[in-house]
Parts: sequence; structure tokens; C-alpha cells
Amino acid sequence: MQREKITNRILTVFFTVLSLAWIYPMVMILMNSFKQGTAITTASAFDPVTAATSAGFANYISALTKQGFAAAFGYTLVITLTSVALILVCCSMCAWYVVRVNNKFCKALYYLFVFSMVVPFQMLMFTLSSLADSMGLNTPYNICFIYLGFGAGLAVFMFAGFVKTIPLEIEEAATIDGCNPVQTFFHVVLPIMKPTYISVGILETMWVWNDYLLPYLVLDSTKYKTIPILIQYFRGGYGHVELGPMMACIMMTILPIVIVYLLCQRFIISGVVSGAVKG
Amino acid sequence: MAEIVLKNIKKIYPNEKTKKHRFGKKAKEPEKKSNLQVTDEGVVAVQDFNLTVHDREFVVLVGPSGCGKSTTLRMIAGLEDISSGDLLIDGKRVNDVAPKDRDIAMVFQSYALYPNMTVYENMAFTLKLKKVDPKVIDEKVRAAAETLGITQYLDRKPKALSGGQRQRVAIGRAIVRDPKVFLMDEPLSNLDAKLRNQMRAELIKLRHKVNGTFIYVTHDQTEAMTLGDRIVVMRDGFVQQIGTPQEVFNHPANLFVAGFIGMPQMNFFPATLVRDGASYQLKTPKFTVDIAPDTCKKLAASGVDAAKTDVTAGARPEQIELVAPGEKGAICGKIVVSELMGATVHVHADVNGSEFVLVINTVDFDKSKGSSFGIGDDIWFKFEPDAVHLFDKETEKNLIQA
Repeated sequence: MQREKITNRILTVFFTVLSLAWIYPMVMILMNSFKQGTAITTASAFDPVTAATSAGFANYISALTKQGFAAAFGYTLVITLTSVALILVCCSMCAWYVVRVNNKFCKALYYLFVFSMVVPFQMLMFTLSSLADSMGLNTPYNICFIYLGFGAGLAVFMFAGFVKTIPLEIEEAATIDGCNPVQTFFHVVLPIMKPTYISVGILETMWVWNDYLLPYLVLDSTKYKTIPILIQYFRGGYGHVELGPMMACIMMTILPIVIVYLLCQRFIISGVVSGAVKG
Repeated sequence: MAEIVLKNIKKIYPNEKTKKHRFGKKAKEPEKKSNLQVTDEGVVAVQDFNLTVHDREFVVLVGPSGCGKSTTLRMIAGLEDISSGDLLIDGKRVNDVAPKDRDIAMVFQSYALYPNMTVYENMAFTLKLKKVDPKVIDEKVRAAAETLGITQYLDRKPKALSGGQRQRVAIGRAIVRDPKVFLMDEPLSNLDAKLRNQMRAELIKLRHKVNGTFIYVTHDQTEAMTLGDRIVVMRDGFVQQIGTPQEVFNHPANLFVAGFIGMPQMNFFPATLVRDGASYQLKTPKFTVDIAPDTCKKLAASGVDAAKTDVTAGARPEQIELVAPGEKGAICGKIVVSELMGATVHVHADVNGSEFVLVINTVDFDKSKGSSFGIGDDIWFKFEPDAVHLFDKETEKNLIQA
């Protein structure tokens, strides 16, 4: 008992330090986003905001107005919403089919999905970007198909794990009650899968929203910038960096996703576990 | 209104399906049914099933697990393909008709309620799919809920109900459809003993309120005996006997049925049947039993002629009576175990190596207790006339034709 207590205390201290280390950069960005550009230097980056260095909301206003932030925000939003919606709809149906039909083709398909999680993005990014160009997938409106491909592995894996826990008898009852397979899916299976929808949705949202490399490679960056790309463009020519507005922009970017996460995190945990325990 | 005919229905699971899947095992596979016949085509789960279920009849399929009773029911429901044979509902062949068009309703062991819908929505779902007028749906759902006594739970989700209430909802979901046939797959197995007895009684009541033909699957012989107009006993895919509960109990077609129906089990012992003119005698090394004259006539009629035939004899524990020590024709055994069940005492007595179970009324047991009955004591008993069943040693068929 005594020993357990000591272990617990050590762990508490350890994880406190760890969480501080994680939250520290965010706090730093928050502080610096309120400083004047001249006050952000390597030496003074860790100083708290004072009356002398404070820029008020000037950085935020500058980021919002000058740099095409609104357009980038809009593009990111469109990409995130379409991609996540597509992933949720397609992958849940696919997982249901794969688990319930379960013939050789389906098994092969399932392992292919799992395998796609193992392959690193960097391995195929250059072939992918040229392919995307030639297929016309390089606009914010159809980049979602590329995201569907990359997101499908994890999503199908998680949905399939959950579908296996749904008793077959419920679907049989629906068949006898007069549902065709499509009705069975939308009236019976989909509502049961709701927790998994939420957790997959959050995971994919965070990924797509924060993704930098894929849009950078695929999108025509003279026309379309997503927020992660936009931040990069705060480094102007001649080595000039507008640090203040950049920090403000970063703050505004992470805020929505942090809020979404905090609101839904309890679903993530229950969703991941519900798929994992019974397999 | 609804007559179901099963003609030579057969179910074969192709061989490849019996292989073990690495994930996502498909339900109802014949994985552990080791006694099933395996042919080139695959494992035969149901063999030549012939049955005519009359309108408004209550037929119970009973048998040990893996005997094909659920598979048969699922074939009638349309959840399982029929490998060969014809299934007729009201004279129409429905082998290839989709489940929803067969006008059947099914109640599952695990209730299979839709967890995301309230009780009301669960019951209304099927009618909603058929695009029935909402007013009619409301009427029907409320009427069914009234019948089953679940009106106060209509707004609840299945999660908030107890097992018995859930099963009522599942039955309610079947009733609102007003189907020709009710199929029930072990609906009471998930309930505790007390609730099961209660629901069983309610099913009997319900059956008379609802017009419909019932086919009911169970492994519980009490349910089979109390509910069924007729019982179908199955084993390893073969139908063993079809008959009324009385027939099945009093004239089991073979050794298996005799052993399966009845609790505690029928006592079996090897014996030799000896014919002496018009009368027969049953001989074992320890005792001899005279066969009742009626039974002798039947035996003679069915042509059991050989002077000596080896048989397996059976006697139900309830048809054994205690007698005074040393009485003529009485059998003496040693008490091995004595279980007080309440109204009756189950006494296990050892006679020359074979164990007999006797069911004795607790009251009688106390009365005849001149000496104390304890473990190791001698007990004298006698079969009631007509109590003895005779089965062929080879074929295990009943020698006495009803």
C-alpha cells in the first residue's frame, strides 16, 4: 500500500511535468501573439507581456485583415468538412459490408485497409502529388477524395471493430421487419454506431484540419492556401518574419480544434475502447 | 389461415464454411456439431425434415443444442437458405421469397430490440416501413402494449427495461404485425427461472388471444411439454419423433426421445425379453418383471417373436412405487443419493451396477419410513403396470407400437 502511494506520487509529478512541457509552447504562442513585433526576439520570447510590449489585438487584426486569413480559414473548413463527411459515410458502410459479408474478397480488402495505416505518407507523397495533378484533384473541393483514401485505413479499422460487437440478431430482426440492406444500415446500424462516428469524426477532423504536407504538395498554392500553409507564408521574402501576426494566426487556428476536442474527448475514449475490447 | 408445410427440407453447410475464420465468425455455423453427417457437399445440419403445421397450431421444436432446430426455424424465417426441399406457406412455395414477404414474425433469444428506438418505435418500426397510416400504427401498438402490459414503458429505451419487459416488447413487436406465423427462437432462455415460468404461462394465454400459427424452438422440455400442441424432437439434424406431448411422453419412438423427455430422466437397464406363449417377461440377473397383458398384446401384434431378445428397458422414475421388503416381484436396491426436491424426493438406488432414480412423494416417503432411509440402506420398489418401455438394443427403436 505504502509503495503504491509513493509510485502514484512519483507518477503524478512526472505527468505534471510532462503536461507542462506540452502546454508550454502554447502558452508561449499565446503570450507572444499579444506582443509588438519588435518585442519578439529570441531573448525576450519567454518574457510575459508588459504594458510596454503589449500590442493589444493589433496582431490578430492584422492577421485577419491583411493576410487572406478568411479565405484560408474557409478553404480549411471546406476541406475538413467534406473530407470528414466523406470518410464517415463511406468507411462506415464499407466496414459494415466487410464484416457482415466476410468472404475472401472482404477479408483481403480489410487487410488492405489495415496495411494502408502502416505505409508512411512520405513514401508515396511525390507520386501522389503528380497523380493528383493529372486527375484534377488539386482544388480544395475535391482534395477530399485524397483524404478519403488516407483516412480510410483507420476509419474502417475502427468501424469494423465496432460492427463486430453489434449482435447479428438485431439486423436479422430488421430484415424480418421488412428492411432492405440499405434501410437496415440507416435505420438500425447507423444509430447504433453513433459513438464510433463521433470518435472517428474527431480523430479525422483533427488530422485534416492540422494537416500541412498534403495540401502543400497537392493544392495549387498560388490560388489556394489552407491555414497551416498560410502560417508558412508569414515568412515573407528577404528573411523577414512577421512574428506577431503569425502567432495570432496560430492561436486562431488551434482554438477551434481545441474547443472541438475538449467538447468531444469523452466520446473519443469510449469510442476507441468500444472498438478495441471486443474484436 | 396459415398452414406451413415442410417437405424434405435439408440444410447443408458447404465444407469451406466450417473452416475456422480468423475474424468475424459468422453466426450459426456448425462448428461443434460433431455428430452431424458430413457428406461431400458439406455438413448436413438438417436432414429430410417433413412436417405439416396446421392453422393455429403451436408446434415446438425441441432437442439438445446443435440438433438443427434453430436452423430449421431460420429456414422457415428466410434467414437461412434452404439447400433442398420445399417450404410452403398456405400452399405457396416460399423458398425464394424474402423474409419480409413471408408474412412471419420472429422473436429472438436475445430479444434483438433496436437500442436506439423507444419501445413504441420498436413496435411501430415494421408498420412504419410498410407505410401504414400513423393512426392505425398507434392503435395497433397500443393494443399490443395493452395485451402485454407494457403500456407504461412505451417511451422508454430498451436499455431501461428488465429482461422480462424486453422480451414482452420483442413479442409485442411480433404481435403488431398480425403475421400468419409466429416464430420463436428460445425466447425464454435469457430469463431467470421464476420469470421464465411466469412468461411461459403468459405465452399460453397470449396464444389464445392471438390468431396465428406458432413455431417455437427450445431446448427446455418443460416448455415443450406445456406449450406445444405437437412436439418435434430432433437430434443431429434428424427428426426423432413428431407427436402430441402425451404421445411423446408415453410412447417415445426411440431411446433418445425417451431419455430426452422427462425430468428426471427415464431409468434404462439392459435386459432380456423372454416370450412364454402369450405373455412376455423381462429378465435381468437380479430381477424379473412381468409385462402387463396389454403391452404383451401389442408386442405380439408388432411381431416380437423371438424366444429371447436383448433389449434396453426403460421405466420412468414417476412410475415406480415403493413396496414392503420382500414382496413378490419387487426389486431391491441400495440407496446411493437421496435428494429432497420439496414435494418429492428423488432417490437414486443402485441395483446390480445400474442406477435407478425413483420419484417418491415426500409424504409417502415419510410414511413408509418404518426403518430410516439413509444412504446405503436397502430400498424395495416395483414398476407400475404399463410402466415398462422396451427398446431394441441395436436400432434403439421402441418395440411397443402405440
